Amino acid sequence: MTLSALNADVIVDQLNAGELKATDCVQYFLDRIQTHDAELNAFVSISQTALEQAEAIDQRRKAGQTVGCLAGLPIAIKDGICVSGQPTTAGSKMLEKFTPPYDATIVERLKSADAIIIGKTNMDEFAMGSSTENSFFGPTSNPWATDRVPGGSSGGSAACVAGRLAPVAIGSDTGGSIRQPASFCGITGLKPTYGSVSRYGLIAFASSLDQIGPMTRTAKESALLMSVIAGFDPRDSTSSKEQITDCLSGLETPLNGIRIGVCRNQFNDGLDQEVETKINEATSVFKLLGAEIKEIELPHSQYAVAAYYVIAPCEASSNLARYDGVRYTFRAPGNDLEEMYRNTRGQGFGNEVKQRIMLGTYALSSGYYEAYYLKASKVRRMIKQDYDDAFQKVDLILGPTTPTPAFKLGEHAEDPLAMYLADVYTVSANLAGIPAISVPVGQSKNGLPIGLQLQGRAFEENTLLRAAHQFQNVTPWHDTSPSQPWRTQT
Amino acid sequence: MAGTPEQTTVNQVAKLARIHLDEQQIESSAEKLAQILGYIGQLDEVELPEDITPFFGAIESVNAIRGDQLQTSVSRKEILDNAPDSDGEFYLVPPVF
Repeated sequence: MTLSALNADVIVDQLNAGELKATDCVQYFLDRIQTHDAELNAFVSISQTALEQAEAIDQRRKAGQTVGCLAGLPIAIKDGICVSGQPTTAGSKMLEKFTPPYDATIVERLKSADAIIIGKTNMDEFAMGSSTENSFFGPTSNPWATDRVPGGSSGGSAACVAGRLAPVAIGSDTGGSIRQPASFCGITGLKPTYGSVSRYGLIAFASSLDQIGPMTRTAKESALLMSVIAGFDPRDSTSSKEQITDCLSGLETPLNGIRIGVCRNQFNDGLDQEVETKINEATSVFKLLGAEIKEIELPHSQYAVAAYYVIAPCEASSNLARYDGVRYTFRAPGNDLEEMYRNTRGQGFGNEVKQRIMLGTYALSSGYYEAYYLKASKVRRMIKQDYDDAFQKVDLILGPTTPTPAFKLGEHAEDPLAMYLADVYTVSANLAGIPAISVPVGQSKNGLPIGLQLQGRAFEENTLLRAAHQFQNVTPWHDTSPSQPWRTQT
Repeated sequence: MAGTPEQTTVNQVAKLARIHLDEQQIESSAEKLAQILGYIGQLDEVELPEDITPFFGAIESVNAIRGDQLQTSVSRKEILDNAPDSDGEFYLVPPVF
């Protein structure tokens, strides 16, 4: 079996058993990137030191020294997450030349576990988008159909895992940016509970919503990565001291008696018929696995996208004020300080980012705060209360991740609202701060992956991952790969 | 909900946001803002209880404080390496006026 067919946990086992050398493993994936990434454009930059690090791990293993739990495993990181000494652009011209002098906490943790960062993946600029078309470095293609988007904003991470250019990757999710591309690319993606994974070193978009998480082929791999990246960090003031329950140990516990809620008002006109069919089929599988399926209501979820498109741009307009031509590499000249600010921001930001900063600035400007930000934050409370009520009755909530499979590149270019509605099922979890996972549940007639979303109570990632793993134990979709040249047998 | 913005308002917002937009961009921004604000307008339909408190942070927690201990941090040189202009000690900017 070729390396691209192996899951991360198996790769780590083989490395530990001495059946595989870290250098061979890293070289294999670097070669695949070299050969295939011109077509996908999943990577913005490739590590120049990955092979050197792999060599050091092989030496340490040979010498009988202790190594970390991911020693030698290649991993790709979304380019909005700082890796010391490696260009980190957030998909923006504004940060084209930016090289962080420090590691994000999750990067530090992955390095301590001896994982090897092989490259940084493409994304919508500052994570604003649902297609990875808003990147300064050009769009990423979906390996299942290269004329289609991989989703976004973590589209590069999703495409590189689906195309097997890296075994696993890390993304970030503000309104669906891990789960929606995971769904479009037929992989598993987990947005953890707000506060369970440190955001230190994540280039901020909307600070009350942003969360870093794993993007992998299987739920078991996501659990493995969570065991490394989750945990309290004093450098992130929103990091929670409440620890998530161990995700790995309970994976094999059967689902007998687990209560799964289905919210029927999400199965409406906007939902593609083929997606609905696959979600219903998957629901039957959960029933066979012993779950009790119950109807629930989330009466305010229909307002989630509207509330999100007030709250996220408001927070973004504040967070992105730091890109002023003084500290972060890009500056456009001006005769005085203010003209320099205006020219730098006019030329350094792409259209979507400028649009969202404008929206946020407008909504926060004098006289509008109550009508927009305050009202949206009250609706956010109603959305959270709906979840609190629902989780009294059920343990998990099941539904589609996205209303449709991957759309074509350019399809929503002129219609921002159509693009925003790609996140209609995912934004609520960010607003409420709860964890949610997307798992592949089949394909449309034209061969595009379809994803199912499970949402759970705060800090109960273990239940989400266990349900996803049990589902994957009896279904083939996570193991199904796109056609040549991405197929795992090549 | 407040009304949709005119182009003059968009101009004013661009000024507040310190973003230079040309005429065409102002026009297109006004159109897109109107479209999105129209969609956001549906928040007016939500019946909110009188006593509802807004939810600003996804996890409500108390102030995060830590001991006041000296720690090493990134060096000045490493930080200034990313600056578009500096004298090695401070950031340099065009004249304020």
